[in-house]
Amino acid sequence: MRKFGLAVLPVLLMGMLGLGSVPGKLIVWCDETRAPIMQELAEQFTAKYGVPVEIQELGFGDIRDRLGIAGPAGEGPDILIGAHDWLGQLVANGLLEPLDFMADIKDQFVPVAVEAFSYGETIYGLPYATEAIALIYNKDLVPEPPATFEELIEIAKELTDPEAGQYGFLSNIPQPDPYHSFPFISAFGGYVFGKSMDGTLNPCDIGLDKIGALQGVELILRLVNEGVLPPDCDYATMTGLFNEGRAGMILTGPWAVGDIRKAGINFGIAKIPTMAGNTPRPFVGVQGFMLSAFSENKALAKVFLEEFVATKDTMLALYQRDPRNPAYLAALEEVSSDPVVQAFAASAADGVPMPSIPEMAGVWVAWGDALQLIVTQQQDPASALKDAVARIRETIGCPGL
Amino acid sequence: MYRRPGGLTKLFYHAIVWAMIAFAVFPVVWIALASLNPSNSLYTSGIPKKIVWEHYVELFSNPHHPFGLWLWNSVKVAGISSLFIVFLSALAAYAFSRFRFWGRRTGLLALLLIQMFPQMLAMVALYLLLLNLGRYIPWLGLNTHAGLILVYLGGALGFNTWLMKGYFDTIPHELEESALIDGATPFQAFVRIILPLARPILAVVYILSFIGIYSEFILASILLTGTKAYTFPVGLRLFITGQYSTRWGTFAAASILGAIPIMLVFLSLQRFLVSGLTRGAVKG
Amino acid sequence: MICTILKIAILGLTDALGIWAIVGLGVAGNWFLLATLIIGMGLLNLALLSRRAYPLRYLIPGLIFFGAMVVYPILYNVSIAFTNYSTGHFLSKEQAIAHFQRQYYLPENTESFSYQAFRSAQGDLILILSSRTTGALYLAMEGHLTLLDPKDPRLLYENNQIKAFEGVPPLSTRELVQNLNRLEKLALPYDEGVVRLASLREFKVYKPRYQYDPDKDTLTDLLSGKVYVPKEGSFTSEDGESLDPGFRVYVGLTNFVRIFSNRQITGPFFRVFRWTFLWAFLSVATTFCLGLALAILLNNPYLRFRYLYRTLLIIPYAVPGFISLLVWRGLLNTNFGVVNQILNSLFHIRIPWLQEAFWAKMALVLVNLWLGYPYMMIVCLGALQSIPSELFEAAYVDGANRWQQFKKITLPLLLISIAPLLVGSFAFNFNNFNVIYLLTEGGPPIPGTQTSAGATDILISYVYKLAFASGRGQEYGFAAAVSIIIFLIVGTISALNFRFTKSLERMSEGL
Repeated sequence: MRKFGLAVLPVLLMGMLGLGSVPGKLIVWCDETRAPIMQELAEQFTAKYGVPVEIQELGFGDIRDRLGIAGPAGEGPDILIGAHDWLGQLVANGLLEPLDFMADIKDQFVPVAVEAFSYGETIYGLPYATEAIALIYNKDLVPEPPATFEELIEIAKELTDPEAGQYGFLSNIPQPDPYHSFPFISAFGGYVFGKSMDGTLNPCDIGLDKIGALQGVELILRLVNEGVLPPDCDYATMTGLFNEGRAGMILTGPWAVGDIRKAGINFGIAKIPTMAGNTPRPFVGVQGFMLSAFSENKALAKVFLEEFVATKDTMLALYQRDPRNPAYLAALEEVSSDPVVQAFAASAADGVPMPSIPEMAGVWVAWGDALQLIVTQQQDPASALKDAVARIRETIGCPGL
Repeated sequence: MYRRPGGLTKLFYHAIVWAMIAFAVFPVVWIALASLNPSNSLYTSGIPKKIVWEHYVELFSNPHHPFGLWLWNSVKVAGISSLFIVFLSALAAYAFSRFRFWGRRTGLLALLLIQMFPQMLAMVALYLLLLNLGRYIPWLGLNTHAGLILVYLGGALGFNTWLMKGYFDTIPHELEESALIDGATPFQAFVRIILPLARPILAVVYILSFIGIYSEFILASILLTGTKAYTFPVGLRLFITGQYSTRWGTFAAASILGAIPIMLVFLSLQRFLVSGLTRGAVKG
Repeated sequence: MICTILKIAILGLTDALGIWAIVGLGVAGNWFLLATLIIGMGLLNLALLSRRAYPLRYLIPGLIFFGAMVVYPILYNVSIAFTNYSTGHFLSKEQAIAHFQRQYYLPENTESFSYQAFRSAQGDLILILSSRTTGALYLAMEGHLTLLDPKDPRLLYENNQIKAFEGVPPLSTRELVQNLNRLEKLALPYDEGVVRLASLREFKVYKPRYQYDPDKDTLTDLLSGKVYVPKEGSFTSEDGESLDPGFRVYVGLTNFVRIFSNRQITGPFFRVFRWTFLWAFLSVATTFCLGLALAILLNNPYLRFRYLYRTLLIIPYAVPGFISLLVWRGLLNTNFGVVNQILNSLFHIRIPWLQEAFWAKMALVLVNLWLGYPYMMIVCLGALQSIPSELFEAAYVDGANRWQQFKKITLPLLLISIAPLLVGSFAFNFNNFNVIYLLTEGGPPIPGTQTSAGATDILISYVYKLAFASGRGQEYGFAAAVSIIIFLIVGTISALNFRFTKSLERMSEGL
């Protein structure tokens, strides 16, 4: 009996090693776009300091949800790479550790990027890329990008010929994709969540049914009615057609540029055309590094982030692999000779950070449904938006109506 | 049941089948076309202007995404799990079919009903289970294929059992009774007599389990945490859960290749789906 | 004889192991595992030792896995339904308290220290801290800070820098990084605060932000002075401010009450339920009919190439579901999808497949037919083998034609073995989240409603929307509660169906 016990003991001990955060070793979660570059960084870090770093690859959409289960169970990573709008849920669940060193180096970053990763005064992420949508146009079809939306509509009307499969303007807003529709809403003063006195977002002040949003959505409806926007275009169709040279202008972000280049399209990027004289303000999304609150290696992770990641070389390397505008000022300067970078930076400069509070979860679907009903002419904009907001308020639990 | 059909009827049958095949195969043909299309889109064009093989090559040339390994993992896990499932299920089905014991009827009913519970939160529970199991027995924990197989074995008892029981019920008792009289234990009767006769249904259950487990991605994605251990559907999801970065071309190529193991399994087990069960086995 | 000895030996060994594990678990206090193990051991012994429980031996292997992988998650689900597990309440109370106790803040003008680390003879880390404010030296050893005289003989200087302590040189940056774990755990009492590692190169004086009083069960914010009391899973102050993160607590029947009182649920409930029922029924009916028809066709020994045909026809089953669903979604796009392009060139119509309620439902049924008929075909092929051919010989001799043979022989005998599968398929499609979500996401949305239930939402997809895509997201407790209700609904329907099919079984026993 005793012998058996002795035999089992090493097995038990081995079992305790586990897969999660282990003292002395860093585990990084990232998606497949960033994994290769992180792998190289990891090797450099290990070479310099002798600390092993392991990169675990997950689907981008899974990282946040998985952290909620794995972190408290002790199986989570030390560092994760994700989007700033994850902050809401992650901080509300106590899953992230503040990055105190950021307070000292925040001037090295684009201000809106740091703001996006802050919750109140605390900074929870090390931003490395910003993204916002802009107008991407095919120079062969559209030599000069429109400056106003009226011009865009004219150009689009001339180019659109559904029989021949050619379109002047495509957008995946009807998918529905509320993210891409925000510039319309913000141009007229619309907003999602208003700010309360202390600067944080007030989840019960929803601007989606107010006059600004209404006017924005009416413009979208006008595009559909004038035959300029097909009422069921989705993202894959939009980019697919553009990459085949059959679309003049599309509205999307830097993630699409890679494929466009590969398709050999002669493209240009411009700011989103003004609407009735107003500047559209797209959502700005920020990608960055975050630290798990359940990490056993917080100081080590912070060293990795501060010494290694927050350097011009690393930021440039990340940019090479994932062509979103760097959030690190030194790197941004270096690449700003690239017209693509300039154009997206200009667009983002007008932008508004995407709200990151957890209540956003209830907004996307309701907003999307309203958009779909409006675009397919099943409901008029005013009542569709009103219904959506009523729904959001009810599920969030806002007082009164 | 069948008589030799006339010429026109034969043509008719073939025509119907071909119509069905067109319906069945049409989307898959689409996927195949997309996999050969240089652009990364799925459905904007029909016949591609030029045929490229780069997506297939890309699948095997990325060391971070060992596609071949993923396929092998899937085949391994599905193959082994299905084997055990068939055995476990047959054992239980034999008991339900041949023995009369307390709780037989209700037991089977309960097994079926319990499986109808919505599995939404099962993932979290099973994650924690494997996590804790892995702390005591490391080769059975998270991110192990053995652990994943164990989880899939949970589906052994259930409809598979009922299917088999129904089939066993139609095998006349006389066959085993003569063996029992000759001194065999019920288990030996089970293995030597019933199992060989039940080949069709064993094959059916194997195929269904194999396909089900092979395509299963929800549990696999949460229980496998390392890229090298991924099964085929889990690896595939990496290509499409990026933000706005669906690589349809590679995705399509992977889908086509991934369907091949299932086709092979079906092809090889198809011959068991033949009749001949009791033709002449029982006289008088 | 040998068999019995072997059996007893193995049983003895497993029993011994089991008892050892039971004792271990009892000591560790893991009651759930303990109970399961005891039940499992009991069943095993019963099965192997009792003559009457002989059938149990055949059932135990399957039951073990069934218990662990099916029953246990259900029990877990049930327990979650009574908690408030949702965004803001992921952690246990202990974890939440630990979270707060880990918070430190930097007071104004806090003192910071540069440092060097040395390894002692026993392998411990000794630190020498130099205050940037006062220039004083401190020795950190065994968790205490003591003032160090710069002229201490243990110090060896070179160029005004400390070269060694007690003869040992300081750790290099590389070694420091490797020991950061130990360094960051240091919390040296100093003045009114604690000296802790601030970054790779310095220590600072911190003060703890929160203090937890276990007797009074309160959390005090030492910076603002506010006192927080645990209420409904969050630490809440008198003026209603609650701290994030909260923690999981048992909330009794709150989630269930919410189901019945929440307008978001009761409003569309009957509409959604009706469609769920209809959908499940249509799924089973269409796939079964097509699957059976094909199985009969392909079972015909006079049909050439039928093995090839069978293989081609299960292709929909061979491609993983989520891939085909995404592809179908694209194919059914109103303006750009291939289906409509073909329809347009042939009949000049474009059907708004996924955009209008009726057509969306049609699309779902059609796509599900495509996905599901191979399963039915395989199952029917297998079950057709079990019908003895003598019956057909006899019927043919008696002059029955093919349709009569089908109605009187094939169908009844088939249904005996397949009926439960049909019931099971009904239940499976009742809860078929995948197909609905990937093809239509429950849409298209219904104008004029203020709930998120779309036209093709079934109960389970609607629950998903309510739990994960509204409010603050990720309401596991609520989703668990609704899962139980759905289970009761579908279980009752199925149980009734089974009673109905029992009569079929009894009918066959006369044969």
